[in-house]
Amino acid sequence: MANSKKYWKGLEQLEETAEFQEMSTKEFSEQLPVEEFLGDEDSLGDVGTTRRDFLKYLGFGVAAASLAACETPVTKAIPYLNKPEEITPGVANYYASTFYDGHDYAAILVKTREGRPIFISGNTESSLTKGAINARINSSVLSLYDGNRLKAPMISGEEATWASIDNRLGKELKAAKNIRVLTSSLISPSAKKIINDFANANLATEGEESATASNVVSYDAVSYSGIIEANKESFNKSVVPAYNFDKAKTIVSVGADFMGNWLDTQMYITDYAEARKPENDWMSKHFQFEASMSLTGSNADVRTPVKPSEYGAILTGILKAVGGNVNAVKTKYDHQIADAAKALKASKGASIVVSGSNDKNVQVIVNAINNQLGNYGTTIDLENHSNTKQGSDAAVMSLIKDMNAGKVDALLINGVDPVFTMGDAFKKALAKVKTTVCFATKMNETTEACKYVAATNHQLESWSDAEPVKGHYSLGQPTISPLFDTRQAEDCFLKWSGNDKSFSDVIKDTWETNVYPTSGALMFTNFWNKALHDGVFDAPSGASSEAMSFTGNVSEAAAAIAKVKGGALEIELNQNMSVGAGSGADNPWLQEMPDPMTKITWENYVTMNPAEMKEKGYNTQFGQREAMNVVNVTVGKNTVEFLPVVPQPGQARGTVGLALGYGKRVGKQEEISGRNAYPLVQATKNGVSYYGDVTLTDVDASDYYVACTQVHQTIMGRDSIIRETTLDVYKEGNKDEFNPSHTLIDHKDGESVNVLTKEFNIWGKDQPVENIGHRWGMSIDLNSCTGCSACVTSCNSENNIAVIGKDEVRRARSMHWMRIDRYYASEYQDAGDIAGTLAKTKEAEDVGTTFGYQHMEDPADNPLVVHQPMMCQHCNHAGCETVCPVAATTHSNEGLNMMAYNRCIGTRYCANNCAYKVRRFNWYNYIAYKKFTDFNPSQDDLGRMVLNPDVVVRSRGVMEKCSMCVQRIQEGKLDAKKAGAKVVDGAIQTACSTACPTNAITFGDLNDTSSKVRAGMESDRSYRVIEEKGQEPNIYYQTKVRNLASSKVAKSHGHS
Amino acid sequence: MHKEAAIREPLILGDDVTYSKITEDVLHAIEHEPTKLWKVLMTIATITAIWGVGCILYLLGTGIGTWGLNNTMGWAWDITNFVWWVGIGHAGTLISAVLLLFRQKWRMAINRPAEAMTIFAVFMAGTFPMIHMGRVWMAYWVFPLPNQFGSLWVNFNSPLLWDVFAISTYISVSLVFWYIGLIPDFATVRDRASRPVQKLMYSLMSFGWTGNAKAWQRFEEVSLVLAGLATPLVFSVHSIVSMDFATSVVPGWHSTIFPPYFVAGAVFSGFAMVQTLMLIARKAMKLEYIITVKHIEYMNIVIIVTGGIVGVAYCTEFFIGWYTGVQYESYVYMSAGAATGPYAWAFWSLIFCNFINPAFLWFKKIRTSLTATFIIALIINIGMWFERFDIIVTCLSRDYLPSTWRMFFPTWVDLGVFIGTLGIFSIFYLMFLKYFPVLALNEVKTILKSSGERYKNMSDEEFKQLHPVFKKDIKSAPAGSKSESDNNEEK
Repeated sequence: MANSKKYWKGLEQLEETAEFQEMSTKEFSEQLPVEEFLGDEDSLGDVGTTRRDFLKYLGFGVAAASLAACETPVTKAIPYLNKPEEITPGVANYYASTFYDGHDYAAILVKTREGRPIFISGNTESSLTKGAINARINSSVLSLYDGNRLKAPMISGEEATWASIDNRLGKELKAAKNIRVLTSSLISPSAKKIINDFANANLATEGEESATASNVVSYDAVSYSGIIEANKESFNKSVVPAYNFDKAKTIVSVGADFMGNWLDTQMYITDYAEARKPENDWMSKHFQFEASMSLTGSNADVRTPVKPSEYGAILTGILKAVGGNVNAVKTKYDHQIADAAKALKASKGASIVVSGSNDKNVQVIVNAINNQLGNYGTTIDLENHSNTKQGSDAAVMSLIKDMNAGKVDALLINGVDPVFTMGDAFKKALAKVKTTVCFATKMNETTEACKYVAATNHQLESWSDAEPVKGHYSLGQPTISPLFDTRQAEDCFLKWSGNDKSFSDVIKDTWETNVYPTSGALMFTNFWNKALHDGVFDAPSGASSEAMSFTGNVSEAAAAIAKVKGGALEIELNQNMSVGAGSGADNPWLQEMPDPMTKITWENYVTMNPAEMKEKGYNTQFGQREAMNVVNVTVGKNTVEFLPVVPQPGQARGTVGLALGYGKRVGKQEEISGRNAYPLVQATKNGVSYYGDVTLTDVDASDYYVACTQVHQTIMGRDSIIRETTLDVYKEGNKDEFNPSHTLIDHKDGESVNVLTKEFNIWGKDQPVENIGHRWGMSIDLNSCTGCSACVTSCNSENNIAVIGKDEVRRARSMHWMRIDRYYASEYQDAGDIAGTLAKTKEAEDVGTTFGYQHMEDPADNPLVVHQPMMCQHCNHAGCETVCPVAATTHSNEGLNMMAYNRCIGTRYCANNCAYKVRRFNWYNYIAYKKFTDFNPSQDDLGRMVLNPDVVVRSRGVMEKCSMCVQRIQEGKLDAKKAGAKVVDGAIQTACSTACPTNAITFGDLNDTSSKVRAGMESDRSYRVIEEKGQEPNIYYQTKVRNLASSKVAKSHGHS
Repeated sequence: MHKEAAIREPLILGDDVTYSKITEDVLHAIEHEPTKLWKVLMTIATITAIWGVGCILYLLGTGIGTWGLNNTMGWAWDITNFVWWVGIGHAGTLISAVLLLFRQKWRMAINRPAEAMTIFAVFMAGTFPMIHMGRVWMAYWVFPLPNQFGSLWVNFNSPLLWDVFAISTYISVSLVFWYIGLIPDFATVRDRASRPVQKLMYSLMSFGWTGNAKAWQRFEEVSLVLAGLATPLVFSVHSIVSMDFATSVVPGWHSTIFPPYFVAGAVFSGFAMVQTLMLIARKAMKLEYIITVKHIEYMNIVIIVTGGIVGVAYCTEFFIGWYTGVQYESYVYMSAGAATGPYAWAFWSLIFCNFINPAFLWFKKIRTSLTATFIIALIINIGMWFERFDIIVTCLSRDYLPSTWRMFFPTWVDLGVFIGTLGIFSIFYLMFLKYFPVLALNEVKTILKSSGERYKNMSDEEFKQLHPVFKKDIKSAPAGSKSESDNNEEK
């Protein structure tokens, strides 16, 4: 059959004609017109192609062919075979989720591109965090792509499969009588339920403990147990309260860094900034008593440096001054205590007193003060309390005791790294436990000591829910499938307790039974979908507690406080914005983020008062070649070796500060340094103490350098860079007093006169972009900026900024497009500058002399602080644009100063001519050069997944700088165009403005008369940095207003 | 031919100087094996040059990060070296062009080596703006070339672009001027050369110079025209280099006094460098009787004048820094920026080297002492480097925002590149001394009989005796002289 068919070309073939026969032997059926082509020699001569041309063509052909034969680099792009429904290449998806790592909580919004999470911002739907995040939260996206992550579970240090773990561990757990779980505070109702079910299953049957006992021990790396115990004593509530800083007219903080690391900073910081707008009817007044200069202290109106051992005494003093019945301990700070107490009394029921001490006695006094002032139920809420810190020092101690006694058969460690934070004491106890399991995303000190290591998902790969404050719920959803063979801890617990459900189903169940009924929604599916979409849900709040009875024993607490005696040199162990309690320690973005106060990167250090350092003969100068003195720090029996000493103006005399969280040995990149200060935390009978007497021992290290991004500390009287005033001057409303226009001196009729800078314009009258089309700009409120640096890392993440490491940062080559300049006032400025009356002070007469300038070089002993976000100012008459020989940097007709990387040849002239020094040069090929391999995430395939595909990665030798997130502007404009509408104010946000928890940075169209940014620009407080140079920046700053009386400034802040 | 007044000091010393002697002495190096000293110097120069080229290759391969620059200091040693070398490249053209226009005959003894120095120095200077670019492979973008990028063009507002034009013009005109002067002298070498390769090379280089009267006439005319062209360039180049700074907003750079100040400074440093090099060369090549103490003194006087201008400029800057009351400017000059700050050592080095040190030249005894001149000139060279370092680094290190104030620390690559250019320059200069007629010998000969000591000391009788042209009745020329006829016959 197969061969039976025959096809013919035509009838000729069928008939087999002779003609066909003949033709079939020829190659060409028709005669080729060769003769016609070549026969006529005359016409051949007329052909354009001469012999020479032919040779040219031949040569060209050979060259072209050989060039084409050369291999060009092949970049593989693999298209989707089946495109996921929700993914459109080039279009980002956003998912609401929840961040909680035991230290920070925030409702977040995760931006994904082609299925990869690349950017985290705050979820503004949340009534708790109101969109606030910090640097650690937005940088956590990088740790998802950390090459050091655990890629599979491990048994006794060997990689294993989940099946073998389930099998072996299942047997061991079955055999174990006493199973304990050590976990970070559980704010997830679902996780709490399953972990309790898992651990306490045997409790009821064995009946050896009372019904309230639990085998689940909450542990916070930094303990707040003192507050919980004090609340138990005072109000019979073992909780951490929620604070409402937006209602507080007076805030007194004694050693609590509530804007940086104390409790739920994300829930406080937006409220705090809201209450400090001078335009409002009232502006809160903030008193801070503290040892180290914290971020919070730097924002306080009145800051008093005190020793940690004096915290209790100061609080008893305040309690007495506000009318409490207590024997106050005598201090040196009567004047400051009286000031604070006066303000507190004036705002009864609308004030907050907090303390960072973990001593129950101190916290009882704090409670007594707040109770005396009637703050419970108004600014402090014990009913709708916070859940984020539940750790109890006593419970942890007893667990360790049990472990040592061999009473614990199995210990499961979740979300904490106790060997790192508790050191050998815990490690020894752990060795006595037969079955040890650690849940971790990376190897750490604890996983090293545990038999089973359950490799867990990153948060962005996990389901979660949270109830950070009673009645406020949020949901976390995975934004990417697990990258490795990992399993989320909750799923492990479910599996090991024989439950086949997945954790997401458990969450759904919990919400259906517990949360959904309060919503009043018609159907659970609708409710669930909306909750998942919004990420947050607020249950109607239970009425806050009515007049609670205070049962604290004040006299006993005061007596205990009176006994506290500090030594000659005390230490305060604190946390900084980069690594917190340790969660950010292995994140290169965070390590490279300058500390908001010292501006030092990549390590921790001992902070000390510069005057005291001079007395000791220590170096107090920063700089790339200024070697710092190095010491060993001893507290009690424990010593931490080799820490540099750095000057910290405002550090209380007789104290030193040191940040916890650094110095992990395991699971980190080589470059990441710092020393572990946790061994210096002392366990006392009143709980864990972060204060103590300290001894410093000099170490011989002649060439130890720190990497600091800002080495000059003061503003040098340059009031066109920083403008600040006091509330009373501002309230008088005379703009010339608090924010005078920029002027220059000119001559007129033989007199020298001040003339507005605009008069000196050499560019012609108008800016080309004013009132035509868009004019993108920013308004930055110095009053709201706390210096937290969330914008810095947010910009890193959005704009693919290279990580360059400690050595290069030390060489002043930080690549950050966005930085925060921090200035300390000198003694000289305290008197005059603050009130805008620089010229009137006596010392100001020295301006222009060597003596006068030298006077301003050193910060005051307890300086006022200003944080100033600084990025490309997008000058309409930009210095950089005119000097580029190849026009690589030009101005857009929307007011943006643009940078064409491809055109840049790298003369760096633009950087020299930038008055703000915001341009960043690619000194090396950061994405390939060997010096950066260890820590630049962009050097490995996994780390590159975090790169924002909308922003090009810059090559070596080109200049870069803030683009005002031009990719976002473009996206916003296109969206508006598609929608056929104008760009709505606020629709376009830059990375820094989304990250800013206090909304200090407002981005928008300055030509849009109704925009927020325009309002900022037209505000009385608005000015531009070094405006007198006539560069017409598009970034407007708002004068900082301190809640002080101008005449008192010098007194309340001077050291006496 | 007229004789110069006897009371004027002669420009060519010695009782035995004849045309022949000049030729013999000037061409001695070309016609003989190199001396031991030359070989030693050449070896040192080659080693440093190789080191420098190595550093440059490392720089180009790795990135500008190998220098000590940072975010605050976009420029430091690179542009310091550039301006320093350009400055050195100023004396040559001034001597050959401006002094030619003013008919200063003493220039003839020194213009050739000074011009050679100029050209080599400008080569070195040109290296720095090239290698300081982040992407040097794109350096051709600074030229307004047609390109495939559409309407993309260079930025004519940028002083860096003006530099490109100014320096390329300067180097072309200087090179042409220098080479034209060399042609008759190359012809002399050619005529005397015995080895075929040498003869061929010098024949090519001398462009078939015949030495006839018409050629000489055209030679003179072209020299005059080129001198006219080169003279404004002497002033324009450094004015434009100074605008790299003057048109910027950096306090301490932004100054209207910069163009004249830079030109004076350039001539100042250029002459100092001429002194440094020539004092060695004249000694080594035994040309003391042509490059006399008189020449040295003249050049010292130029140094005094230009040094004075530079000194006045310093004072003016400080005065204006105080007078304007602009705090940024006043900070740079009145405070830590200069005299008491971290760069005080550089500032005081500058004040000593450029302000105090040249003042010694006011004493005739010192400015006619060769040793003293050599030392002072050397110190000026160092001082002028510090001047540029001061302007660039001190001003950049502390400009507007105190948060960005930083220091500059050079790396070994910075140092290596600078030393390397000194080495490359030395190779060029030593090659010049060996293979080129170091003096404009044919020009020098034109003044021998008017300004030479021997001829000045002669009585008219003797003079006439020497020159049968002047006295036909003398039967025979004195023995030992070959100068009966035209110069060219000697060769």
